[in-house]
Amino acid sequence: MIAMIDLLLIFRILVFPGFTFILFLALFCEWIDRKLEARIQNRVGPIVAGPGGILQPLADFIKLLTKEDIEPRDTKKLVFRFAPLAAFTIMIFAMCFLPIDGASVLSSGTSIAESGFNGDLIIILAFATIANFLLFLAGWASANPYGTISSARVLTQFLGYDIPLYIIALTPAFIAGSLSIGVIAAGVPYILLAPWAFVLFIITMQAELEKGPFDVPHSESELVGGLETEYTGAKLAFLHLTRDVQVVFGSALVVTLFLGGPSGPVFFGLDWLFHTIWFVLKLIVVVAISAYITNVFARLRIDQVLTGNWKILLPAALLSLMLTITLVTWVYHPFGIGV
Amino acid sequence: MADAKTWARVKSPWVLHFNSGACNGCDIEIVALLTPKYDIERFGIKLEPSPRHADVLLATGCVTHQCAERLKRVYDQMPQPKFVVAIGACACSGSVFEGNYNVVGGVDKVIPVTAYIPGCPPRPEAIIDGVLKLLSTISTPPKKEKQVQAHRAEPALAEVKQNGKQ
Ligand code: SF4
Repeated sequence: MIAMIDLLLIFRILVFPGFTFILFLALFCEWIDRKLEARIQNRVGPIVAGPGGILQPLADFIKLLTKEDIEPRDTKKLVFRFAPLAAFTIMIFAMCFLPIDGASVLSSGTSIAESGFNGDLIIILAFATIANFLLFLAGWASANPYGTISSARVLTQFLGYDIPLYIIALTPAFIAGSLSIGVIAAGVPYILLAPWAFVLFIITMQAELEKGPFDVPHSESELVGGLETEYTGAKLAFLHLTRDVQVVFGSALVVTLFLGGPSGPVFFGLDWLFHTIWFVLKLIVVVAISAYITNVFARLRIDQVLTGNWKILLPAALLSLMLTITLVTWVYHPFGIGV
Repeated sequence: MADAKTWARVKSPWVLHFNSGACNGCDIEIVALLTPKYDIERFGIKLEPSPRHADVLLATGCVTHQCAERLKRVYDQMPQPKFVVAIGACACSGSVFEGNYNVVGGVDKVIPVTAYIPGCPPRPEAIIDGVLKLLSTISTPPKKEKQVQAHRAEPALAEVKQNGKQ
């Protein structure tokens, strides 16, 4: 019996909904992202690799894995080798806390609400921060002026935007009355109760993921390849993959906190299947919104990014939190909404 | 496994564009490849900013003495396996600038070239055709020819270096 449970756990970690599933979900989301970008620019986008070009990200990944791995002389070898892989591992680990198929990967709970523990919301936000910091280290260790500038920008940006991100992420937690992701995901979609926080969260997430219009750390016109400039082969593959998983993680966080996570109607007793379908569908919607924002707005300057952070988003996040607490205390909870 | 490797390489060639002395005509045609009309991303081809990420070097223009060493260095920075496409009459042979006091000659005087796309400038369709023909040869690369060219390139570069020092 114990062996059975262990096998199930190993399967959950390695195959579904763990490592392999998240890997392919990340590649799939990159395809959606690239396809939408192409359509918005009136192009076709990748079309040759697989039906509709759906295997394009996979082809890129395999190709990078098989390329020569160059380590320039002046790099800090240990960090240069270790940082991309560590960032990728931490992002995958953070994904494992999200209730993708109705329960988080590591949990043994049976319902969505029981799939986590109190406080795992803070933990995955911290993981996201650590992964960003490892990306900063990766650029810093590459001994390239462009990589260094890009790293400095990454640091400036994510340290600043982490504060409003944490504050806004608390909004659904206050309504649900719990810091457990499972409990938050099991409630009503909180976009209905706090739409302003949803908008703010999407904007902050966009900045946290360094996507447009906040993509100053990656601006190709100034920084060549950004912090990836010196990376080749497998290391570059994992840096790309880390970015993909980060995008999926950010979107999945939006889905879990504001769109009710994997909840939705389930049929035929196939709970895990329908939960996964609902989760992925909602994820695609958020990825599409994010891709739209990225392509429609022009890139901000670095000073505008900082002003936007400290003078606009931070006060807005605090106001949003105050509004939420007021509403929760005087309106939602007395009338039994959202508990 | 080898099949997957070849498949991935053919489906995802990332290109780097280097101008070693072109009149900008060829460069504009390369940029045209990225526009909605020709949209080269259909084939998974991406224009990469860093030589470290690139698989294919799109070289335009005849090579000037100034640029020869830079061209060689950019080529050396690319990870294996790598390919060079010479785009335009100048890159193929030096064209009308052949024999000029400041010109080494075509790109193949400095680095081994895998494919030549003549034209002044070549049409974007011709460039797409050339790149795709290059990709179709990846599964059976014409190795001997490449080595011969690489061998031929060395003395020219040594000469360039000497000239640079003088
Ligand atoms: S081939 Fe023609 S268009 Fe191209 S660089 Fe030479 S002169 Fe210019």
